[in-house]
Amino acid sequence: MTASPNNSITDLPGVRVSHLTCHRDLPSPSGGKALIRTGLTAVFPYPPGKKIRLFAAAMALGGRGELTGYEVLDDFCYLNSPAVITNSFNVGRAYNAVLTYGFSVGRDELWPPVVIGVDDSYLSDSREFLMDESEILEAFREATEGQAEEGSVGVGYGLSAFGWKGGVGNSSRVLDISGLRFTCGVLAATNLAPGISIAETESKAGREDHPHGSLTIIGGTDLPVVPHQMQQVASSILLSLGALRSRGNHCDVLTCLLFSTANPMSMENEGPQVFNVEAVDDSFLSPISAEFEKAAWEAVARSLLKARPVRGKEGREPAAMAADDWERISGKRGRF
Amino acid sequence: MNRRRFLQGTVCGLSLLPAGALLEEILQAAQETGPTLSTPRKRLRELGAVVGTLDPGRWNALTDVPGVRVGHTTIVKGEGRGAVRTGVSVILPHDGNIWEENLYAGYFDLNGWGEMTGIQAVTGTGLLSTPVFLTGTYNVGIVYSAALEYLKKTNRSLGSEGRIAYPVVAECFDDFLSDTRSRQVSDLDVFRAIDDASTGPVVEGAVGGGTGMTAFGFKGGIGTSSRVVDKHYKVGVLVMANTGSRSQLRIDGFPVGREIRVPPQRQRGKSIILLAATDAPLLPYQLRKLAKRVGLGLGQVGAISGTGSGDIVLAFSTARRIPRKSSSAFHKLQAVSDFYLTPFYQAAVEATQEAILNALTMAQTTVGRDGNTAYGIPLDQVQKILQKYYGLGRGQGVLR
Repeated sequence: MTASPNNSITDLPGVRVSHLTCHRDLPSPSGGKALIRTGLTAVFPYPPGKKIRLFAAAMALGGRGELTGYEVLDDFCYLNSPAVITNSFNVGRAYNAVLTYGFSVGRDELWPPVVIGVDDSYLSDSREFLMDESEILEAFREATEGQAEEGSVGVGYGLSAFGWKGGVGNSSRVLDISGLRFTCGVLAATNLAPGISIAETESKAGREDHPHGSLTIIGGTDLPVVPHQMQQVASSILLSLGALRSRGNHCDVLTCLLFSTANPMSMENEGPQVFNVEAVDDSFLSPISAEFEKAAWEAVARSLLKARPVRGKEGREPAAMAADDWERISGKRGRF
Repeated sequence: MNRRRFLQGTVCGLSLLPAGALLEEILQAAQETGPTLSTPRKRLRELGAVVGTLDPGRWNALTDVPGVRVGHTTIVKGEGRGAVRTGVSVILPHDGNIWEENLYAGYFDLNGWGEMTGIQAVTGTGLLSTPVFLTGTYNVGIVYSAALEYLKKTNRSLGSEGRIAYPVVAECFDDFLSDTRSRQVSDLDVFRAIDDASTGPVVEGAVGGGTGMTAFGFKGGIGTSSRVVDKHYKVGVLVMANTGSRSQLRIDGFPVGREIRVPPQRQRGKSIILLAATDAPLLPYQLRKLAKRVGLGLGQVGAISGTGSGDIVLAFSTARRIPRKSSSAFHKLQAVSDFYLTPFYQAAVEATQEAILNALTMAQTTVGRDGNTAYGIPLDQVQKILQKYYGLGRGQGVLR
């Protein structure tokens, strides 16, 4: 199937993306300068003023990452927070900002905040820097529909992947089932360590002392997929993208968070005891996984190809990946 | 003096008489009446004890969930060396073809030292697509194979078009009473259990997969119970109980096991398999949550889920049949709101306790391999002890 209008996760009705990019040169406690090249990216799965929650599924391969709100995602299988990706040192700030934001829009129950932490310390002195809650809130308020910015923006600003500049990217696919049109959208944040997998000898030198890589996927759809189905789709996406992971690196973490806007549920503990749920037939989980996988691969490609070099800590400045680099790394799967 | 009156006598004088002498007498009494005592066994409620506050369904059994059927094959062969006390129990989850029409299911292992096959399919798809079989540890392969034979016979397309079934076969270790290594279970025994499966009252105690099981220092086995939620929905639990030691046993919260000193405890249990069913529309993730509460019910009869105990829970909902092949792309479902699950949890916790206790109170004393004897829990003692505790309470006792 083809990409939808903006080829963006925001092609999903109601979904918004916001970025906060932080570029600072701060005096360092050790005398020199702390170069801050970091940021935050948030995906709002629905207009946050609405008092709803959505079915969701989360899956993570590898333990060296953070995904707050995991207990509720795993046990209750719902998401009502924005999905936020930021550097590991600012997870708490972002978490708290989600709560503040929720209170400010009359959502005392905008809980638990879902914040995914990634390590951008190869380019950024992130440990020397905490974001101001006010700037996070401002970014949240400026979340927009329409094509989301990509590359070295938001959390993508400080990321690097395979020795090239990493970033954020997004993509979407449309899928017809029984004459109805649905959208599968994906946002990716690429931060994989250089290594020898699909990239084999292709990855660049550098970052050897920063082996804690990550690949973060946030996917949304208006298809009526329910949690146990989303888990199957999430595992398909991660298995497919696992080809990108560097072989013999146990430190990389691959995270996939999926949500469906199709069965919005109440946050109130009043109301009907039994509610209606729509579920796609399991026989469509393969085509749905296929579209999600394509969108995920393209989101990864765009995160890399749109990323402009950022000069960061210790003069490091990973190069921007060129189209033929991507071609060599990804092979057939990376063609769209 | 019959055994029943004899035991009543011992209870009254329990604290006054030397335990050693009593023990001798009881062992003698057991020998006099033969290997399987025909003392009438009772369900917990028939003893006057009640667990919890919700009402049970009509049969107080897993079969109160409409369409659920339970069947047993009990295998008793020989005496002494090489004696076999084992069997197979089967749960048919609905009255149709479960392989063609699946049910939502959820799984939880409180402690994983056990086996429940087919779980990858259950957790991977959220669906239960085969009957559930309960048996002794070493019989799992035979029963699994027989289950596939049954499924092949009843489903011509199975094995073609990439359609494979993954039978759910769960086990506990029955080696105290049975020469379990000899694996004297056949395909035919499994088919017989399926033929035997029926709705209505469930045979409990030393029967089917529970034939050789011991629990809480007594004879264990199959037990079941149910609860009604909102006058409408049923939650049923069935267990194959083979876990726990006597000093841990609690009935309705009271430490009854600590006060039963005779007959002697010969064996600590190893595992327990717990099945929960409901006709309420619960989605797979909600069934997993229900399965966790079944684990709480196990805790409330005193089990601690020790390292060697495979305490595994499977829960399914009969509310919605998911066809293997469907002509419609989308399914309109219903689900109980997360905020209304609490009464279902209460039902699961209560029914689990009572199912385990029914397994104990319904199981006959059984003499098995090498003369090993697992004693049925002495019902008169249970009654007396509970009477004492209820009497000590603040008028909350429900013993009638």
